[in-house]
Amino acid sequence: MSESVITVSNLTRDYGRSRGVFGLDFEVKQGEAFGLLGPNGAGKTTTIRQLMGFVRPDSGSARIFGKDCFTQAARVQRQVGYLPGELALMDDMTGMAFIRLMAGLRGQRDLSHALQLCARFGLDANQKIRKMSKGTKQKVGLVCALMHRPRLLILDEPTSGLDPLMQNQLWEILLAEKQQGVTILLSSHIFEEVERLCDRAALLRSGRVAAVEQLGELRTKASRVYQLRFETAARAAVFAEGWPGAAAKGEWVQLRLGRGEPVARLLAQAAQSGVQDLQTRQENLEDMFLRMYGGQDK
Amino acid sequence: MSGALLKKELRANGLLVVIFLGVVTLYGSMITSMFDPKLGDSLNTMMESMPELFAAFGMSNPGASLTQFLANYLYGFLLVALPLVMILILVQRLLVRYMERGAMAWLLASPVPRWKLAVTQAFVLVAAVVLLVGYMTCLCGGLAEVLFPGELEFDRFALVNLGDLGLLLFFAGLCFCSACLFQSSGPALWAGGGLCVAFVLLDMLAGVGEEAEFLRWFTPVTMYDPVALANGENIFPLAGLYLGALALFVAGVMVFSRRDICV
Repeated sequence: MSESVITVSNLTRDYGRSRGVFGLDFEVKQGEAFGLLGPNGAGKTTTIRQLMGFVRPDSGSARIFGKDCFTQAARVQRQVGYLPGELALMDDMTGMAFIRLMAGLRGQRDLSHALQLCARFGLDANQKIRKMSKGTKQKVGLVCALMHRPRLLILDEPTSGLDPLMQNQLWEILLAEKQQGVTILLSSHIFEEVERLCDRAALLRSGRVAAVEQLGELRTKASRVYQLRFETAARAAVFAEGWPGAAAKGEWVQLRLGRGEPVARLLAQAAQSGVQDLQTRQENLEDMFLRMYGGQDK
Repeated sequence: MSGALLKKELRANGLLVVIFLGVVTLYGSMITSMFDPKLGDSLNTMMESMPELFAAFGMSNPGASLTQFLANYLYGFLLVALPLVMILILVQRLLVRYMERGAMAWLLASPVPRWKLAVTQAFVLVAAVVLLVGYMTCLCGGLAEVLFPGELEFDRFALVNLGDLGLLLFFAGLCFCSACLFQSSGPALWAGGGLCVAFVLLDMLAGVGEEAEFLRWFTPVTMYDPVALANGENIFPLAGLYLGALALFVAGVMVFSRRDICV
């Protein structure tokens, strides 16, 4: 777990009008699944473009397996499997012809692993890519990303445009790869996705790393969210004033209790105020990031 | 060069090249068979009646020999314009489309260095142009020998073809370079393609009259003068076209290897 696979240090690429990435620093260790989280335009794709050697950094550096991502891109790519966010395959080829082309570009003659993957994904690759559904295309892309048994997988918003069934299938595939020791870098704007697969995540905002968190640890810090409904909005407001951190919205009051905070006192006080309804849920990653690092883009 | 990519591109673009070979076969055989020393006289009469129009299409001093006839009517305009269309379509398919649709990401994500990708695409383009001109040389040469035995001066006809090849490679280099230079598909295709068309138009204008003759200094097409080549003259400027083509291809590959590609 100690060897560093991706090292990004002080990486800056300024596209002007405060778009781009600025002074990014993070590291992904061998065997780790690392998430790049953030809203659209936060710099996730820009970061991945630099890791893939598509774009040269203005300053700072991005290294994979110790090699520079731009100047040594071709050597880096040998050990990397990449699934682009905008899945643009070559429409006029069949899936199999495309897989063969990609294998050919890798100098890979042996297609047995690719065929195994096709079978595992239930992919019939013999039709023209133009006629494939989004999910089927994604499977072709995944086969191409996995068929050379890469040590690092880089996935840019891999579930966008997939139906829930396909999404689940994708997660199973990625979890299996992770269990085999493949290092994974995943970008997403959906917190649940990252929560499901990743050990750590960096939250990007306006091209900067707002936080890097150990997700397992973060989960233990998760508090519970309570929503209470009162008879009138006025009563709700009164109750909210009497409880630090509570917010009233109409007849509803929302508040958060951390571990070890007094649930009994909350219930007693709510009962006294004539609570009508109570909902409770585990705080998710999104809530936590919002709570810890603020909700709005600066 | 990448063998896998080369194979893919040859398969994907073979049909297009064959179609263009078919089109130039049509024009080439038609014009070659139209040669008639007597017809030449009547064409000369027609040309005297409207010299500007003929001059605009590079058809000036038609001369009497079959070589001059072909240089004038086939290599003056048709075998510049038609192959240019092929070059533009090929550049669109070999580079611009990959960039536009994002499929370039897959090529860049492979362990093939960028310069090899660019050299492969350039090779396909050059091969198509060489094939087209080589094919025309054989077709017209063979047809002329069958229809008018002994009329064609092969060495001079070869010179005309060498000139045409030089000009077309220069155009191909220009289009390739522009496709390597620009990210968005409009400029990538039309910066180069537009310049080629503009160069041809300038050459046509320059041929019309003395007032416009100075325009010939603004277009590299001047370096290719098929009628002069048919007379064994103006050979030296061809070196400029070939060197220019080489420089443009090298520049294209270098730019492609170093630039940012946002796919």
